[in-house]
Amino acid sequence: MKPRPPSLRSGASANAGALAAAAAAMLVPANLLPVLNTQVSGVSRTDTIFTGIVELWRQGLWAIALVVFLASMLIPVLKLAGLAWLLLATRGRARHDARRLTQIYLALDFIGRWSMLDVFLVGFLAGLVRFGALTTVEPRSGIAAFAIAVVLTILATKMFDPRVLWDAPAPPDAAASPS
Amino acid sequence: MASADPLLTCRICGHEHRPVPLGPGERAHCVRCDTVLAHGSRLGPDAGLAFTLTGLLLAAPAAVLPFITAGKLGEKQTGRVFTGVEGLWHNGMHLLAVWVLLCGAIVPAALLTVLAGLLLPARLGRPPLQGRLLARAARALSDWAMPEVQVLAVLVALMKLGNLVDLTIGPGFWCYCAMTLACLLAWRSFEFQAAVENPARARPEPAQP
Repeated sequence: MKPRPPSLRSGASANAGALAAAAAAMLVPANLLPVLNTQVSGVSRTDTIFTGIVELWRQGLWAIALVVFLASMLIPVLKLAGLAWLLLATRGRARHDARRLTQIYLALDFIGRWSMLDVFLVGFLAGLVRFGALTTVEPRSGIAAFAIAVVLTILATKMFDPRVLWDAPAPPDAAASPS
Repeated sequence: MASADPLLTCRICGHEHRPVPLGPGERAHCVRCDTVLAHGSRLGPDAGLAFTLTGLLLAAPAAVLPFITAGKLGEKQTGRVFTGVEGLWHNGMHLLAVWVLLCGAIVPAALLTVLAGLLLPARLGRPPLQGRLLARAARALSDWAMPEVQVLAVLVALMKLGNLVDLTIGPGFWCYCAMTLACLLAWRSFEFQAAVENPARARPEPAQP
């Protein structure tokens, strides 16, 4: 496999920052707008991500409430905070613990996709629960905003070039080269 | 480049290493950032291909067989792999429906197909057609293949609906779970073996200055 060119992708950190900022902005409507409307025996109920989790907890489904809380609330925030940390730590030529930051980057890369859980869940519930007018589940606009936030966050992580963690403080000609 | 060996470049820090043979179960870490670069498969060099073909075989039943049957007051609804897509599409969220279709079904199937295109010719002793392009495509596809997230979503849906409707799990869901596992293992085998041009036979050492 051809080695990657020694130069860093130019503007990668700026692009990652812009995408992360856009994702953070989309998290606001994603959390404020309803994501799901449930009709059971004629009783209608509209949930945001947070009230959905509270409802699961209230029903005694603690493990599921925890899983949804992790995937839909904690991971998106953690991921953006982690990305902001990486971007700030690698600004300029300040010294940083590259090995630790690399571990954070790998963790962010791994957890990102799990935020898609709520999107798959709302879609599946809406497709499955269609019992006439009495029992139905319908998606609401918040889930689209949430999906956009998740995609932007994943793109921001992909855009971030981890070599900036290792190569930034050194002069450009210090990249390893074969003899 | 003076070196005759293909160089193994760390995907994280860009440090270059000279590959050397790697025994079963051995892992090679980057000398600079400690990221795992390659590991010798305990299951032999054909494991990746075996997982890929298994995943492809399971994709068809996973796509057509029922995941879940939900019943309420004598009425029945069947959930399949495309149920989430239908749910979003029928409620006007067309773009999101396409996105869910891509991440949950199309991209995993495409990833398995690309891996088969890479590994099958190699097993038959022929160079894969457009190997470098296919390897890049596989890496790009692996970022967006999320069958494991869909499995978790269906499990959460099952728990959530448990006291609302009567549920029966169908064979399609088990096929999808098995396909997901095969897809993950196939990608993992490929990712670490494809780090060098001679698959599963490399242990990196620091590049000579």
